[in-house]
Order: sequence, then C-alpha cells, then structure tokens
Amino acid sequence: MADGFNTEDMLDMYLFENQQLLEKLQETVLEQKDEECFDEDAINEIFRTMHTIKGSSGVMMFDEITSVSHKLEDIFYVLRESHPENVPHLQLVEHVLEVADFITNELEKIENGETADGNASEIIARLDVFLKNIKGESGALEKKEEPKKENSAQKFYIAPAANVASSKYFRITLTFSEGVNLVNVHAYKAVYALKELAEDMIYSPEDIISDESCVDEIFENGFRILLQTQATEEDIRKIIKAGYDIEAVDVLECSAEDYRIGFGDADDQTIQIDLESSVEEIEAKAERTQEQIMQEAKNKTLAPGDFVIQAKEPGKAKKLAKDKPKKGEKTTFINVDVAKMDQLMDLIGELVISQSVVLQNPDLKVPGLSLDNFNKSAAQMVKISTDLQNVIMSMRMVPLTNTFQKMNRIVFDVSRKLGKDIEFVMVGDTTEVDKNIVEHISDPLMHLVRNAVDHGIETPEEKAASGKTERSKVTLSAKNESGKVWITVEDNGKGLDRNKIMNKARNQGLLDYSKPESAYTDKEVFQFITLPGFSTKEKVTEYSGRGVGMDVVLSNIASVGGSLEIESEKGKGSRMIMKIPLTLAIIDGIVMKVGNTSFVIETGAVKEFVSVTKDMMIHDPDQREFVMIRGECYPVLRVGDRYHLEGYQTEVENGMMVITEVDGQHICLFVDTLVGKQEIVVKPIPTYVKKVKGLSGCTQLGDGSIALILDGPGLVD
Amino acid sequence: MDERDTQKGKYVTFKSGEEYFGLKIQYVNEIIVFQEITKIPESESYIKGLINLRGKIIPVIDVRLRFKQEPFEYTDRTCIIVVNVKNIVVGLIVEQIAEVVEIQEENIIPSPSVGKADKSQNKYVYAIGKVGDQVKLLLDPDRLLNDEEITALDPNADAENEGEE
Repeated sequence: MADGFNTEDMLDMYLFENQQLLEKLQETVLEQKDEECFDEDAINEIFRTMHTIKGSSGVMMFDEITSVSHKLEDIFYVLRESHPENVPHLQLVEHVLEVADFITNELEKIENGETADGNASEIIARLDVFLKNIKGESGALEKKEEPKKENSAQKFYIAPAANVASSKYFRITLTFSEGVNLVNVHAYKAVYALKELAEDMIYSPEDIISDESCVDEIFENGFRILLQTQATEEDIRKIIKAGYDIEAVDVLECSAEDYRIGFGDADDQTIQIDLESSVEEIEAKAERTQEQIMQEAKNKTLAPGDFVIQAKEPGKAKKLAKDKPKKGEKTTFINVDVAKMDQLMDLIGELVISQSVVLQNPDLKVPGLSLDNFNKSAAQMVKISTDLQNVIMSMRMVPLTNTFQKMNRIVFDVSRKLGKDIEFVMVGDTTEVDKNIVEHISDPLMHLVRNAVDHGIETPEEKAASGKTERSKVTLSAKNESGKVWITVEDNGKGLDRNKIMNKARNQGLLDYSKPESAYTDKEVFQFITLPGFSTKEKVTEYSGRGVGMDVVLSNIASVGGSLEIESEKGKGSRMIMKIPLTLAIIDGIVMKVGNTSFVIETGAVKEFVSVTKDMMIHDPDQREFVMIRGECYPVLRVGDRYHLEGYQTEVENGMMVITEVDGQHICLFVDTLVGKQEIVVKPIPTYVKKVKGLSGCTQLGDGSIALILDGPGLVD
Repeated sequence: MDERDTQKGKYVTFKSGEEYFGLKIQYVNEIIVFQEITKIPESESYIKGLINLRGKIIPVIDVRLRFKQEPFEYTDRTCIIVVNVKNIVVGLIVEQIAEVVEIQEENIIPSPSVGKADKSQNKYVYAIGKVGDQVKLLLDPDRLLNDEEITALDPNADAENEGEE
C-alpha cells in the first residue's frame, strides 16, 4: 500500500472505460452509416469520445492510441466547427471504424498483458489525407460558427401577446467606453433588460457569454441589436442609458424588411432570439420533428425568460438534425462484478429463508395472540422480498442489442468488401436473454450473419442476371415465443440449392440408400449443411466457405439447449431460426413432492396433470405400467420407484399423473402431490456428487428447502 | 500471509465414535448446526444429500459412514463442518465438535502403518497429533472427500491416492 499509486487499478479502469466508449461509438456510427451524414449529436459524441480516449491514453502513455485518436478528434473538430459540405460519409464511417478497431485491438493487447505495439502511422496518414480533403472543401466556411439549435416549448413563451402589425422594429447600436472590463457581460445586461420589451430580437456578435473574443468585436463595431417590439424608442432609451459603461446608444427605427434581413450578409454571426415561437412555428422553421423538440424541451430546463435561440439557417439545422426521431432516453448502465450479483442473489435467498423462519415461528402459534397487525406488516414484507427476488432475476437478463450491433458491423464490413449493397434490418433487439446465453450465441450468430451476407446475398452481377430488382436485405430479428427466444437471420438472397446439397451429400456418402432421395424433406436436406466439413460453396472466401461454420453453429447452439431450423426457398432467400432458452439460470417450473423430496419439472415440458383411477392402469407381463387417458396409452414412470425414495404415495388415486413430453414422446410421471408453479433459480448439483440420471440440477425453494430438477430425456434412458 | 501464520498448527477437532479427529483449520470454512438434508437418489450411502448454506447448495457427507462405522442418530449436538478442499465445498456431519487446538510440529508423527496391507485402514489419517496425553487423528481432507470424484475432475490430483480399493 506504500506506493499509493496503483497503476493496476488505473489500467483496469482505463481499459474498461475506453472499451465501453468504443462500443458506444461503434453503435452510434453504425446507426447512422446509411444516412447522408452524421447528425450533430453523433459528431459531438464521436468528438468527445476521441477526446476522452486521447486524454486517458496520454496519461497511460499509450502513444499510438493517443495520436490516432487525436487525429480523428481533429477531423471531427473540423466537422463540428465548420460543417464542410460534401463529406464522403461512407469513407468517414470507415475511418472511424478503422480507428475504433485499431484502438480496440490495442486495448485487447494491453488487457492480455502484451505491449500495445500496433503502429497507427498508416491510419494517421489516411486520416490526414481525409482531413485535408474536407478542409479543402470547407475552406470558405471555416470561420463560420455552428448554428445553435435549441428550442423550447411554448410554455416558455414570455413576451406579451404580439400584435405583429403594430410592432415596430429598431436597430440599436451600443458603443461601449474604452477600458470597460467584461464588455460582453455589459452587453448581455443590455440584452437582458431589453427582453422586457422585446417580442423578438437579434443581436451581434452572438456568443457574448462564452466567447471571450467577441469583446474585441464589440469594441470595434459596437454591439448591435435588432429588436421587434411594441415599445417606443423612448422606452428603449429608458432601459438602456449611456453611462459609465455605455458610451453611446444609437436607436434607429427600421422596417420589418430590414429586420428580416438581420445584420445582412456582412455578418452571419447572429442569433435570432425567438421569444414567442410556439412549438409548431419552431418546428416549421427548423423542419424538425415534434418529438425532437419535445425531447429537447424536456431535456433543457429553461427557466421562463431564458433566451430561446433559434438556428439562423434552418437549412443547416435540417441537414444536421435529420428527420429522424431521436431515440428515447438512453438507459444508463453500470457494470457490476458478477460475483457481487451472485452474492446478492445468495443474500436474497437467505433473506427469504429467514423471513419464513420469522413468519412461521412457533412462538407465533401461541393461542390467544392477536396478530392482525403483525400479519399486515408481514404481508408487506413478503411483497417486498418477492419484488426483490424478481429484480435480481431480471438483473441477469440483458438485451440482445449489443450482440445485434456487432452483427451490424459485420454486415457492413463484409458487404463493403464483397461489393454487395445490403440493407441490414434489426427487429426486436431489445429482447432480453440471460447473460450466459448471450455469450454463447454471439459466435453462432456471427457465422449465420456472415453466411447470409457471403453465401446468401447475390453479387450485383448475379442479381442482374436473375433479374432481381429488390434491394438485398439481411434481417436479424429476435422474439420471445413459447418460453424460448427465437433469433432469426433472414436474407432475400439466392436461397439454398436443394439439388446441390443432395449431390454433395451423395458424394460424401451421407444419404441413406434405403431411402429414395425424393423422400428427403427440405428440412432434412438443409440439415445436411450443419454437418462438419459440408460446404457447397465452391470458392473459399475470407469470410466463409470452409465448411467449418455451420457445424460449429449447431454445436454452440446445442450447448445452451437450443436448436436450429433452416428454411429456404431457392431464389427467394433463406431463414435460419435459432431457438434458444431464455435463460439457463431461471426456469419456470412446477414443484412436486414425492415422499419427502421435492422435485421440479420445467413448465414447458408438462403437457397436463391428470388424476387417474386404478381401472385406467394397465400392467404388462414385464412389469411395465401404462395408463389409458382419453383413449391414449402412456407409459408410466413412478418417480418414487425410480429413485428408491421413502414414504411415497403408491395408490394411483391419491397421487397425480404428470404428462410430459420428452423428445416427441409422451410419458406419465407419477408423483405424490403438486405443490405449485414457481420461478426457480437453477443451480448445478455440486460436482462432488456423482451425476444422477434424470436430474439436471437443483434449486432452492421459497422456504429454503432444496428441490431436485427433473430432466425429461435423462429420465427416459 | 499473516493470516496463514496465525492459522498455522491449529486444528479443529471433533469426536466421531470413540476417537478424536483433527482437521487443519485452513480447510475449514465454518461450522454450522445440523440442518435438514435433501437426499440425492442413486448416490453413495455416505453422501447424505444437499443442504442449503445461505443460498449455496453444498453436499454433505456423514463422516461415520465414510469411515464405514455404524451410523449414528443425529441430535442437536450434531454439527456440520463446512470444508473447502481444492475449491470443492463439502459439509462433514460429525457427532460432536471438540475444540480448536494447536499442535506443535514436533508433536505430530506420521501415522504408523503395519506393513502394506494396513494402508487402507488409515488412508484418511495422515498423521497423529499429540495434545497433552490425548491423541488426535489428523485427517487428510483430500482423501476424506475423494475416492475418485476429485481425481476424476482433476487428472493431476495427487498420486497419494494409490492403493485404494
């Protein structure tokens, strides 16, 4: 502890923060890659991100990262300050991604304890060229200030109701005495005072508060105000009087026309203070969406009387802002050590146990106690702890958004390299899945998406040849269905060629000769492509075609208990559907009791519960037992017998039959009683205990006792 | 590192049958009172089942049964010693906790064996510690837990498990 300067911690923090920043950056960039240009928020964000990375990398002395982020920051500085026209947007996107990749790569090296030895000079050189290009384009505009785009809802409307017809317009010039300090503040004071009268006003220079350099200009040219008001010249003069600070006040009445021209072309550093615009007017002027304005109005807590500043050039505002509704409030996240979350989960479990100990305390069972108030408070406590449990369960769930974003990047990269114009659509990316599962599906998903782009989508030539006109499209979608998450990768490309696959399968000896080839269903045929070493792609490309993809996909999906379905139509496209369980950790289960032991079976696996009578039972000579239910005959498995438990129910009338489906086959489990339906946290049976067939894990029930989780397939063999 | 020093030479001792056994204190996580056990079907008889240790589910084994001694009735004196051996947490059901004693190194003698055949008899006891005029059988928790389980998990598990049945 003596050294006090823990670089290890700093490094961790550095890596963590910057990785987060880069992830966010990529997301922003990819979101707008198909637009004409970045909107202002994105430009600001990228600028800030690069600035932050530059700063922290400088401190950590990772020079290459520092210099490359510095260069990109420069570019975005130019973009931000001078709005060059005709920026090659795609090129810019590529540059940003390139830099992000470089930094990510370096960070990874650092994380793995290697030296960040990447050389960024090439990238920097490219960025330099790019920077020169856009600077060249924008030379004339270099000096121009960026229009401010702040709007306000009508509630901030402060000027008296304007009767525009009777409004008068004044051109006011204030000359300040030499040697007055903070002349800009004095100018602001004047503006503030005039606001009382103003229906509308413009002044120049615009940025009197934050831009110190305007001081010189004010001294040189005077501070000019254009005012629309009901008041007379006298009123104005009353408010702004020459004094120790103001040398001369020049008030000239002018026409509305003059007013509209503002300070003319000579000086476009102006701000029009629009004190009375309604939301609609602003919207019309700036051609922005209502949502955006509401959003901004919400974000900006303008006090009544604050300046409402409107962009001088609506055209620019439009171009910057785009007609795209702003995303809803971004959720903020903090990252938490998983160990801490597990601990929290354990603690909550403990809380639940001690809660039941308290509530079912034998002391409470003393006759004659009046427990009304106690019970009320207890019910409240139970409610809170249930909520608490639900929250911790939901904390493990993460949206698929990040995973999907990565796919977006892949589509972008691969399609650019292969010269395919592809529209990438994401649907349902906020679907939540358990964190562990997300980790498992990221790779298979990547394979599927690459396949779709590389194999599925045709090249422009192929497309022309087949006369296809629609834009190539890859759709990635996720939805919850029947307790699983369905993740679909769909393309409208050439689809799978049944004949080609059949030929290949025949050559590899995969076909069953006793079965006529025509008897293979499309589904069966398409499943061949998931076999190891099976690729119908003649040419191996950088991205796919080695035939190692699909089998890896399938095994990865299977490892989390998922399945893959392939649908395809030749010439129309194909669809890969991954069906993944929502979570490995939490299942919705039915709790049952056999003897003293509690068992849980996944709700999804249960078809129905049936009370049966003795005469429905059938015994065959091999001591096997069946039950006839509504004309169907099901094999019976008595859980008590199966596990040699003690004290379980043997009379079928007193127990319960649970019909479950295992691999398409129905079996009846005979249990003593049903306890209820519950969300349970799956825990593995400690490895110390040998694996028991038919038990896939264990869980802690609400009362703290342990239940064993039955696993259908294991029970059957 | 200081922590280890304070633990050095300390043993948790418990009574099982007529004998007193000792376990190095660094293996012991905690000692809890006996609690309800959920049986696991199809497992060894000495594995009594699972308990819920504050949300963590751990297996418990009955030391008497492990030593192939007669089973005993669980009473309110019955305790569970939670040990952590190579990151495997297991509860040991013991009749009675005795005390934590310090045994000097010079008072520890390797467990005597009578020829090769004897080896299986004291495979759990690696040494004998003398405290005053009492004798504590010092247990090797690794061997106590494992016949093959850990070895199965960890192929590099110590070769000392040789000679087991």
